[in-house]
Amino acid sequence: MTGTFIRHELKAFWRSKNTGKSIAIRVVMALLILYLLINVLVLGFFLDTVLGKMFPKDDLVMSFCGIIFIYYLFDLFSRLQLQELPTLRVQPYLQLPVKRNSLVRYLSFTALLSVFNLWPFILFVPFILKVVRADSGGIVALAFIISITGLTIFNNYLALYIKRRANLNGWIFLVVATLIILLGLGDFYWHLYSIRSISYSFFGRLIGHPALALLPLLLGIVMYYVNFLYLKQNLYLEELSKRKTSYKSSTEYPLLNRFGSIGDLVGNEIKLIVRNKRSRSALIMGLFFMFYGLIFYSNPKYGSEGYKVFVGMFMTGIFIINYGQFMFAWQASHFDGLLVNKIPFADFLKAKYLLFTIISTGFFLLTTPYVYFGWRTVMIHFVMYLWNIGINTTMVLFFANRNYKRIDLSKGAAFNWEGVGGNQWILSLPLIITPFIIYAPFAIFGHADIGLALLAVTGLVFILTRGFWIKQLEADFHEKRYKIAEGFRDK
Amino acid sequence: MIEIKDLKKVYNGVVVVNVPHLEIRKGESVGLVGNNGAGKTTLFRVMLDLIRAEKGEVLSNSEVVAGHENWKNYTASYLDEGFLIDYLTPEEYFYFIGGLHQQSRAHVDDFLAGLADFFNGEILEKGKYIRDLSKGNQCKVGVASCVLQNPQLLMLDEPFANIDPSTQFRLKSLLKDMNKSKGVTTLISSHDLNHITDVCDRILLMEKGVIIKDIATSSSTLSELEEYFGVGQITL
Repeated sequence: MTGTFIRHELKAFWRSKNTGKSIAIRVVMALLILYLLINVLVLGFFLDTVLGKMFPKDDLVMSFCGIIFIYYLFDLFSRLQLQELPTLRVQPYLQLPVKRNSLVRYLSFTALLSVFNLWPFILFVPFILKVVRADSGGIVALAFIISITGLTIFNNYLALYIKRRANLNGWIFLVVATLIILLGLGDFYWHLYSIRSISYSFFGRLIGHPALALLPLLLGIVMYYVNFLYLKQNLYLEELSKRKTSYKSSTEYPLLNRFGSIGDLVGNEIKLIVRNKRSRSALIMGLFFMFYGLIFYSNPKYGSEGYKVFVGMFMTGIFIINYGQFMFAWQASHFDGLLVNKIPFADFLKAKYLLFTIISTGFFLLTTPYVYFGWRTVMIHFVMYLWNIGINTTMVLFFANRNYKRIDLSKGAAFNWEGVGGNQWILSLPLIITPFIIYAPFAIFGHADIGLALLAVTGLVFILTRGFWIKQLEADFHEKRYKIAEGFRDK
Repeated sequence: MIEIKDLKKVYNGVVVVNVPHLEIRKGESVGLVGNNGAGKTTLFRVMLDLIRAEKGEVLSNSEVVAGHENWKNYTASYLDEGFLIDYLTPEEYFYFIGGLHQQSRAHVDDFLAGLADFFNGEILEKGKYIRDLSKGNQCKVGVASCVLQNPQLLMLDEPFANIDPSTQFRLKSLLKDMNKSKGVTTLISSHDLNHITDVCDRILLMEKGVIIKDIATSSSTLSELEEYFGVGQITL
């Protein structure tokens, strides 16, 4: 049965519509991971030297025993954020004569195929073989390896268990993450206890009593079963996919009513952003970018004004870039409806401009506290704000006419490559470079003010000539609309 | 009302729609039947300018449909859930559609009150987004939004497929009423031969992209269609 599952999963991978892309991404990821692996391998081989430098007063084995628990705490934290839940779409198998146990077992075992389970071995085994075996003999070395195996399995299933529970209730994730951070702070910041000595009190004893190695192994096995039982109990479709639903009330935005049917379109799009997971995370990510300035402005190394132009563009325009790059795919699921209804495309475009202007204005207002770094900073932000709503909006919409990839709004944005294509890469180049083509030559020869003024004027000219650009985009759209609609229909 | 000239749509070398000539007069009620893959939905999509035909054109009120927007003023259609904005509540969606036709909220509310029977208490004030409704209820939302637009031309693709029997009967009388008393031209596809012959005065039968029969509905139409679709049936 397991063999069949694996074959099905391979087919699902090869036959999925965006296989070409995901292979490219997987190759890049694999290279990155390989690079990391080699780094860790080198670190593992020289761990004795590193430890000797870090804790010159302590015995080598003692300091090694001390870091193991610290490592696993860190390991758990990063697993919680990065490790993927193994997914076999169980739905088609549930009503077939397939034993529940074999489904769950498959899900559980494939969970072990994660790079996270390689790290500890690469990091610790060279040291164990080099130092521990030489010091205390083969049996103790074996006991160490068994303990590490046990702890790795334990961490693996603990992380998955927490992630599964967090899927149903987001608070669990926050609570656990805070708990881990507090555990770390308790040692390194408040000095209430020492994880190192706790770790040593176990692994130190392991040298005298190798049989203790069975303890972590037992922990690992218990965690496996906890996870197994939890999965088995929750294999019911409803519970996997549905959460408690609250009453969804209708809303309207009175301010937008003044804009007539264009205002209605903007209202709909705001609802789209707020009511769907992926678009919501695009907006929230934009809010985090408001701190971007703090990183650059508080560091004298980045004192030059060129950084302010760059940072200012990102802070006031992050939404245009982040959300706009996938346009019109956000509306892919009802694009046919938009086409057959009485919505002139010019209105559709005007609504996009209005939406971008509203949200960029909001973001610009949020950046005004940066006045702390001088009025000139806010002035530069304002210039870049004009640039964003003048030029970047038009540029983004031009590329939107060339975006044929559907996206699913209900999935999160992190590590989500759906809807990403060449378009997004090509788009980012002109977005980032164009302002500097205008600004840099003046700044280099000491006339930064003229450069800024020119940026502002260009932005204004584009804002004032919007009508013209809308006509151009409309004509362009009528050429491409069939291709866009066809791409969006293709699930 | 509608005239199709020399229309041809090809996918991967296979002709999926091939209609040399078709005319639908104002006030007609036309039913489109045919097995899966006969090209019904594709024909609808071409008529709504959602896909580009390789050859030929569709005229609506003597105006070419492709690339023009005038026909949208008087045409209402519902082909599938892709026509609905699924993150809105049904009320929000109706207000939006009404707004496109310059109808006030009060007007929309009035109109919806008249559809209370059709909705059967499943649609309004349920506190759900359209995406959380069942397929049948989504279909009700789609059909209602079409009626709301006061169209002169109404196009529905398999409206009977997902809805319950009571709603099927209500939909039939709704369609008949629109056609007979308001003079709306209706074009409906369906697999349910009973319903379609009941509602429509004219039946078009499609096979492999071609309209092979064009019959005015009479008492013998149903048996004629049953005979066609029952090809190769074993008689006991």
